[in-house]
Amino acid sequence: MSGQSAVNPARKLHDADVVYLYDGSFEGFLCCVFESFAQHELPFAVWTPERETSTLYPVKEILTDHAKARRVFASFHAKLGGETEYLVTRDFLSGWEDKELRLIRFLHLAFALGPGTVKRAGHPEVAPLYQMKQSLDWEVDKFQGFVRFQEHDGMLGAVIHPKNYILPLLRGHFCARFPEENFLIYDAVHQAVLLYQNHKAQLMELAEPLTLPPPDEKERRFQDLGRQFYKTLEIKARHNEKSRMTHCPKRFWADLTEMQEKG
Amino acid sequence: MEQSLMDKLTILADSAKYDVACTSSGASRSARAGSIGSCYAPGCCHAFTADGRCVSLLKVLMTNCCSFDCSYCVNRKSNDVPRATFTPRELAELTIEFYRRNYIEGLFLSSAVLVSPDYTTERMLAVLRLLRGEYHFGGYIHAKAIPGTSPELLEQLGFLADRLSVNIELPSERSLNLLAPDKGRHSIFRPMKQIAVEGAANREEVAVYRKAPKFAPAGQSTQMIVGASPETDYHILQLTEGLYNKYNLKRVFYSAYIPVTEDTRLPALDTKPPLLREHRLYQADWLLRFYEFKADEILDKNNPNFNPYLDPKCNWAVQHYGLFPVDVNRAPFEMLLRVPGIGPKSARRIWHARKQASLGLDELKRMGVVLKRAQYFITCRGFAGAHPGRGSAGRERVTRALIDPNVFSGGVEQLSMFSPPAVDRLVEQGVPPRTAQKMVREEAVQCLARAL
Repeated sequence: MSGQSAVNPARKLHDADVVYLYDGSFEGFLCCVFESFAQHELPFAVWTPERETSTLYPVKEILTDHAKARRVFASFHAKLGGETEYLVTRDFLSGWEDKELRLIRFLHLAFALGPGTVKRAGHPEVAPLYQMKQSLDWEVDKFQGFVRFQEHDGMLGAVIHPKNYILPLLRGHFCARFPEENFLIYDAVHQAVLLYQNHKAQLMELAEPLTLPPPDEKERRFQDLGRQFYKTLEIKARHNEKSRMTHCPKRFWADLTEMQEKG
Repeated sequence: MEQSLMDKLTILADSAKYDVACTSSGASRSARAGSIGSCYAPGCCHAFTADGRCVSLLKVLMTNCCSFDCSYCVNRKSNDVPRATFTPRELAELTIEFYRRNYIEGLFLSSAVLVSPDYTTERMLAVLRLLRGEYHFGGYIHAKAIPGTSPELLEQLGFLADRLSVNIELPSERSLNLLAPDKGRHSIFRPMKQIAVEGAANREEVAVYRKAPKFAPAGQSTQMIVGASPETDYHILQLTEGLYNKYNLKRVFYSAYIPVTEDTRLPALDTKPPLLREHRLYQADWLLRFYEFKADEILDKNNPNFNPYLDPKCNWAVQHYGLFPVDVNRAPFEMLLRVPGIGPKSARRIWHARKQASLGLDELKRMGVVLKRAQYFITCRGFAGAHPGRGSAGRERVTRALIDPNVFSGGVEQLSMFSPPAVDRLVEQGVPPRTAQKMVREEAVQCLARAL
């Protein structure tokens, strides 16, 4: 016998010196997954146009193909179960630099081991997914409380600076809360807007940064009342700056009405 | 002179801030078309004050004009403080405007006893009716049941609010008679019982008729002051357990007594609030609610107070050192929960993950287990349990790993928030904080190691 395996070494999963470039959409990402499985390769990195930098590795441009994306997405539920589908979809909103690569590595493992893979929270390829989810959930939870609206002509507006792309996850909460209001939440980091008008919500990416108009007389009055309420609540005998910082890190302060001096 | 809204808010928020219950959890609903406000079952914090407590609800008193004279309270009749009263319309409007700006999750309405308990409750009801009726407000409302209110009014309050609470205030009848002569034990437990009974009946009704009006869907809570009266921790913890079992309470809150008044029956004005004790009580409360502990396991007659240097869970593990180490891959769930360094979340993850593959130290670490503490109490794949070494040196190593870091986390100048009384005494004698912490820490390690 020649001793050669029937499996072509190139057909085994291997690390490839190649960079995937895709358009940043979820469907585009699913096509990266398709490519990675079709070629049995783990790319060196997965980039979007914003994250593109010069590299020595060849760049492979992945075109978004709806049919392929649908095929991949359907396989999540069918082969890996609802929990995996949920975890992957949610983690895609994470702001981590290498989220795509982590997800692709996980998917290779999951398709090899089956639907139970997602339960192996301690596995080196699975644990990062839970870390991403934890950081995402934490931020969503915080921002449900930390969004501060200002009223302008009956319309409520808020600016936030989140690390993850959390607007889609805030939509349900705020739409269920203010069905009769018109409001917008502007994510200044990702330049996206959640706009709810006339009982309809839509997510939009903006080309230009958005600034809210300065508060009017009535708005200033309620901001002052809000600040005063916040200041009054502190119990001086229990002052604990460290605890405040744990619960509300300084990066949130710029957008919080009560943390600003008189505006 | 007419008071401005700003003045009223300042006075009435200031009087209400010593009430610790801040949660907005336990109820879940979306706003219906034409209304405003939803409830989010886990609760939501909207801001954190400089003392690290969360601001969830617009916590104010309806009025701070009180006809009672409870000696521990700032609003007592004999105290000379500015007084104010909200009109129902003012307060309802303020709630809605704050709510729309997402400053708050809802309203926490309490009140001093103006004229009589029934009169006060009527005024509170007026605010809630305005909010729920006219403003179609569906957000969270926590209403305080004033001791001595008639059952009919309390029932109405329950159908408008999400959560009701009756404050126990002091953990024993003797202290209550001594410090709050106007509130009898009966006037506290009667409404508590009524809420428990009506709540249970209502839950059955809602199960049959889905659209039946809900009575306090987020249940009831209570709070008590710790450190104003001589009760032991064991007494307080048993009382807590009794309340959870008997009245089906959602939460029991503790508040470290902050001296607000000169009184021979109370601790002196310069007494530091017993924050460490309060912290330990909350830890024990967590053990009761999430770790399947019983009050008798945490403390007993011979050890009626908490160990200042070990958290209650570590303390239990040290006292039952013979039960360990446990095999992470086989131990029952209740036992996993009792390992220092494993919480409910990592216990659940272990429970699921070990069905897929056996777990080693690396996996446990990635799942969030704190190995520094857990290593002396577990075995797993490829790990037969850490050996601290023989004799006293080994015992010291275990205690060093378990000792509560929060207690000694202060800097050169400043003490930790939770500094134990022994450290405070040394500092008073002129020992620099860091040296004092070190001395007490060493002594605690020696002492605990000997007991192991």
